[in-house]
Amino acid sequence: MRLYPLLFLLLLVAGALAVLVGSGDLTDPELRDTFLKLRGYRLAAAFLAGAALAVGGVVVQGLFRNPLASPSVLGTTAGASFGGQVALLTYGLAGVGGSFVVPEMTVPIGCFIGALASLAVLLLFLRVTQDLLALLLTGFVLSALFLSLSAFVTSVAQETWELGRAVVSFSLGSVSGTGPRQLAFALPLIAVALVACWFWGRSLDLLLSGEEEAQSMGANVGAVRWWSAIWVSVLVAGAVSVGGNVGFVGLVVPHMLRPFAGTKHQRLIPAAALAGGVFLVACDIIARVIPSRSEIPLGVVTGLIGAPLFLLLLIRLRRERAYA
Amino acid sequence: MRNGDGHLGLRAQGVSVTLGGRTVLRDVSLEAHPGEVLALLGPNGAGKSTLLKALAGLLPYEGHVEIADADVASLSSRARAKRISYVPQRSLLRSALSVEEVVALGRYVHGGSFGGMSKNDRDAINHALQTAHADVLRDRIFTQLSVGEQQRVLLARALASDAPILLLDEPTAALDVGEGMAVLRLIRTLAARKHTLIVVLHDLADALSTTDRALLLKDGRVVEQGRTGDVVSPEPIRSVYGVKLIENARIGFAPDTGTE
Repeated sequence: MRLYPLLFLLLLVAGALAVLVGSGDLTDPELRDTFLKLRGYRLAAAFLAGAALAVGGVVVQGLFRNPLASPSVLGTTAGASFGGQVALLTYGLAGVGGSFVVPEMTVPIGCFIGALASLAVLLLFLRVTQDLLALLLTGFVLSALFLSLSAFVTSVAQETWELGRAVVSFSLGSVSGTGPRQLAFALPLIAVALVACWFWGRSLDLLLSGEEEAQSMGANVGAVRWWSAIWVSVLVAGAVSVGGNVGFVGLVVPHMLRPFAGTKHQRLIPAAALAGGVFLVACDIIARVIPSRSEIPLGVVTGLIGAPLFLLLLIRLRRERAYA
Repeated sequence: MRNGDGHLGLRAQGVSVTLGGRTVLRDVSLEAHPGEVLALLGPNGAGKSTLLKALAGLLPYEGHVEIADADVASLSSRARAKRISYVPQRSLLRSALSVEEVVALGRYVHGGSFGGMSKNDRDAINHALQTAHADVLRDRIFTQLSVGEQQRVLLARALASDAPILLLDEPTAALDVGEGMAVLRLIRTLAARKHTLIVVLHDLADALSTTDRALLLKDGRVVEQGRTGDVVSPEPIRSVYGVKLIENARIGFAPDTGTE
């Protein structure tokens, strides 16, 4: 159990750095409180999004029996992002839902629907074919589809300058503008979904042996698949609503953890939540310290780390089992 | 079909299976009793594995499969898995789980959703590992074992579930002679402990040496059913496999020349 002390230590270090590092001047007594508050929200948003995406990665990897799966690779994040944009647009243009749903809630709901729609396509499609390449290709196609739909939404949104700005900044993905009200909605969503995923952990262990064996060992395979998909969608929706479209966290973190935490889901999920949070907080610090005229988007940092790792994993996996 | 002590038998009546519009199993009836090994025999494509999967509730079927007068189709997957354990020819597991973790999966039906193992669980796992002679493999990674070792671990996983009825799909296929003998001996041990065993076998010599009764299938229908010694006899074997049975000290086969 040396893993957890280490993770908590890393969390402390990353948390302290996240509060202290940045472009604002902390010695100015008038601005200090504001800066600290903003950095506190930002820290919380990065941690929440990281925890949610990492656990989402663990669960989809179990669900599709594929270590290369992750919410961003499978197009789930893109689906959530598109759903969030549509929610913003409908709310902004027509005020739909304005009377009975507060705006902070419309975005997560839109994200959830987008994420679940994206996962549902995969679950239905992979009933028929079940190999590594088909999964990745379908995920790629879904990502591309949702990205082009997002571009369409963005262009429609330009009709109003303010709305256009909101949609664009949402799609870029950043935790810098996250406020307390967004956090207050995302926190319970993510917390409940994390517990729910842990709860399905034993069933996901069975699914590692394939559907038929899982069923023969007493798992209700249909329930495991759909409930896992629903909770992953909640996680991704929560993450995207506070951090936008941030990729590869669900791929990198579980991969780094497995040598220490093993393969069993109920051990992996809590560790992934903690490590994912630390990872994204660290990435956000990197995004702040890299010299640049405006701040580098968080998704760029995670992409630069995640994409090479994905390729390495793919090469290794192909060698090990020739696409099986 | 209950025989004291929770020993359960299994009865199938008029079981038919249609897959992709093709009837692969037609009107099969059978009974399996505690303490007994029933062999499912027949050429490739006869429907042996399909029958086994239908009995395990893994395939939709018409007809009835009953355990202790409860229809298997009416049981939840959990309730069914407590009674029937199915052992595939090979596991599709590709993740790095240890042997102990794999066997622990068999306890799923007894646990809640919470992680901890009770003393009962640990005892069942230990007992299953010992029975299957897999305790020395306990800390090894499942995917790195030989096919024979994997087969023993899969048997241990089935035993850990405490299900009285065991369905084994070609447990000796792809094993060498020594490994195969070990698995067959284990099957007899389990029968002696009043398990009900239904085993798909390819090797008729194995069937003769290990099983009590046999069901001979061809093209999804039952051709012959009874004591294994009677089923594996010249006439049914000739009609199903198109080979002539030559009985010597050992059992052997020769092409059917049409002359008796």
